[in-house]
Amino acid sequence: MNDVTSQITGFLSAALRRRVEPDDDYFAQGFADSLFALELVTFVESRFALTVEVEDLDLDSFRTANRITEFVRRKTGAPESGEAHAEGS
Amino acid sequence: MSPQALQHGAAPVAIRSAAWYMPEHTLPITEVRTLDEIERATRDGLGIDTVRADDRLSSVTLAERAARRALEQAGLDARDLGALVMVESRVQETFLSSEVTRLQHRLGADDATTFSVGGLGCVSITPALLTARGLLAADPALDHVLVVHGSKPAAALRYRHPVTVNGDGGQALLLSRSGPIRVRDIAQLTNGRYWDLFHVDYRDRPTAQWREQCTEPSTYSFRLAMETRNQLSAMLGGLLRRNGIGQGDVAGFVSQNLSAGSFAFLEDSLDIELLPACRENLRQYGHLGPNDVFLNLRTALDREELAPGDLAVLINVSPVAAWSLLLVETGPQEDTA
Repeated sequence: MNDVTSQITGFLSAALRRRVEPDDDYFAQGFADSLFALELVTFVESRFALTVEVEDLDLDSFRTANRITEFVRRKTGAPESGEAHAEGS
Repeated sequence: MSPQALQHGAAPVAIRSAAWYMPEHTLPITEVRTLDEIERATRDGLGIDTVRADDRLSSVTLAERAARRALEQAGLDARDLGALVMVESRVQETFLSSEVTRLQHRLGADDATTFSVGGLGCVSITPALLTARGLLAADPALDHVLVVHGSKPAAALRYRHPVTVNGDGGQALLLSRSGPIRVRDIAQLTNGRYWDLFHVDYRDRPTAQWREQCTEPSTYSFRLAMETRNQLSAMLGGLLRRNGIGQGDVAGFVSQNLSAGSFAFLEDSLDIELLPACRENLRQYGHLGPNDVFLNLRTALDREELAPGDLAVLINVSPVAAWSLLLVETGPQEDTA
């Protein structure tokens, strides 16, 4: 797991009070409400110094830690590093 | 999307008197029907203890009782009204008939220009204010516009998963060019991509089977929620800027009453604190649709959470989707109750 993904899974596990793996879809599992979504997006914005605009609000970019990692890379232009993950891009 | 705003300096509109009618019967939240255990658990976490409920009273009757009180407070007769504007009921009792002309007839508001507005859920109070402002600006001979709404649930169940519980209640706002509460600015924004995110199918089933459905719960809890954060933040910044004030100049923020979670969401999204009156009214009355924000403002004034001369921002959000902000200035409150 790379550093970005591990920061995200750390946040998700704390926020949802359960262990979250990089490909766990917490929206499909019914753990996410609007307060959690706000907490998640605010975390991503502040931790990775980016702004989530209305046009960025595709749930598929936020439904797993690995998807968020890809989103962060797209937004910041950061190169891929660390282990590859199961999902395609 | 269709942004609209009337800036400070445009035609004045103010609330001369305001009144509400709440049915006497109080329904404990534990007696509000749900369909399963998940819904029951969500219902019990909304921050609502009771709602007012009387199935014998129609939307029109609720609005009428509030209207009579507002007129009495202002010392006016219904014949003095230049216009009667109803925020449409969520569900009419019969099709093709007119609830607003029924109310006109019951009140005896024979000379009032009479019609309904709506289409934006609880945000529909805003087009009613825009309409009143336009009528007052356009016709110097027209002095009073009565805006009314009777809140009743649309579906067979009062519980609306996972959002809120609807109560019954009527509201009437008598609008004029001057009065104790000045509406200094109005901002409204809509995004039609969510037009039927929540809906009630009815054509192929008996009324008892009408159910409100959220077609995409994840869209509601993620995309629309985050769009609400972004849109309201931008709207609030714009509202404050064009009125030459900062967030610190606003003495109080008021929102509609959906749930304790929705209050926390707005407070965190906008970095604001809602006036305590919002949580108090949510606890007592549940959600009253377009009536919530002015009821909360009234309660905040009664509880001295706001003082004469204070500025307040009233926030309304609807999943259709619509967002609105009202900047109001409070004055001496002798005429309102």
